[in-house]
Amino acid sequence: MQPFALNYARPAVELEAATPYVYDAGLQLNVLRDGRVAACDFAVLREFGTTTSTAGSKTHFDD
Amino acid sequence: MTVLILTCEEDVTADMVVVHLNGAGVPVVRVDPADLTGGVALSGEYVHGRFRGHLSAGGRLVSIGGLRSVWVRRPGTPAARAAQPSAWLTEEAAQALYGMLRGSDARWMNHPDAAVRARHKPWQLRLAQRCGLPVPATLITTFPRAAREFAERYPDLVVKPVSGAHPQDPPRAVPTSRVAPDTDFSAVAFGPTLLQRRIAKRADVRLTVVGERMLAALKATAADADPDEVDVRFAAPGPPWQPADVPPRVATGVRAYLREAELAYGAFDFAEDADGTWWFLECNQSGQFGFVEVETGQPIARTIAEWLARPVPEEPSRVNGSNATVR
Repeated sequence: MQPFALNYARPAVELEAATPYVYDAGLQLNVLRDGRVAACDFAVLREFGTTTSTAGSKTHFDD
Repeated sequence: MTVLILTCEEDVTADMVVVHLNGAGVPVVRVDPADLTGGVALSGEYVHGRFRGHLSAGGRLVSIGGLRSVWVRRPGTPAARAAQPSAWLTEEAAQALYGMLRGSDARWMNHPDAAVRARHKPWQLRLAQRCGLPVPATLITTFPRAAREFAERYPDLVVKPVSGAHPQDPPRAVPTSRVAPDTDFSAVAFGPTLLQRRIAKRADVRLTVVGERMLAALKATAADADPDEVDVRFAAPGPPWQPADVPPRVATGVRAYLREAELAYGAFDFAEDADGTWWFLECNQSGQFGFVEVETGQPIARTIAEWLARPVPEEPSRVNGSNATVR
């Protein structure tokens, strides 16, 4: 009784590592441990893939 | 005048835009509706024929009448983190927050009504057709026989979710996948199934549109790519995204699409075939853009910030009750 499309489903991939930044409510930005703004460090964004289209997201289906 | 951003704390892509707004000296208030009624509070008064509303978050207080724009990015479910969350409280919080915001003259990216409609893939396909964008032959059905007949006409097919959503119990992803010609389609009866003629692509295209500005990026299909890997989100990394020009006919169709959809932002996915034709696959009304900017250097975040920072027009042009036209 499984819908056809689910024959092609695979386990969702979770982020393997915690992101190295935390939200700063005062700045309204996520900051790295050294205080720099995470969004300005493209190497970090690329490494952690947090700006990537995320099929299987738990909360959003707009990729 | 303030820019209101509705998103979750971990949304580092939104941060990319906040950085530009900060640099331009534009006031920003960032709110996650999930934090109603903890870290976020609201109040609205309808007295003597006038409305006065306020939102507060993180120690910031903003007048709803003082909003120039609202960016609906990745908002949490209203009141999801309340002390005693419930479906009823979520509905109450959603009605209060979005109902008040709907009464403002702020410009939306994107208006919630337009966003809800724009998420329907069958609607997207029809709109794309009407706007002159090439759409691969597609069937959405619960009739196994219809699926079999479609597969006879178009033997090289892919299947994908109608909604774009992915099952969560347990968490699974449903990538766009090739369907073998001898597939048993009887399970089509157990759920609406979207089958589409596979485009033999030489590249994936992500076209991000902000207002009237189009920023296209192209990711070439690697010569040694596995032909069964049709979904770029799940494929091996391959060549990087590169900036690309938008063919004039595509640009015309995309403008018509966004105008009809009443969207100020859209992230379009196309497949480019060997002839250079861009086949419309979908338009994500809140699609991710950070990964494109990181790889191509295209100024998407800055363009969004500039759109959000525009002043509210003295006489807003309203379409279908909203204020979300592309301009």
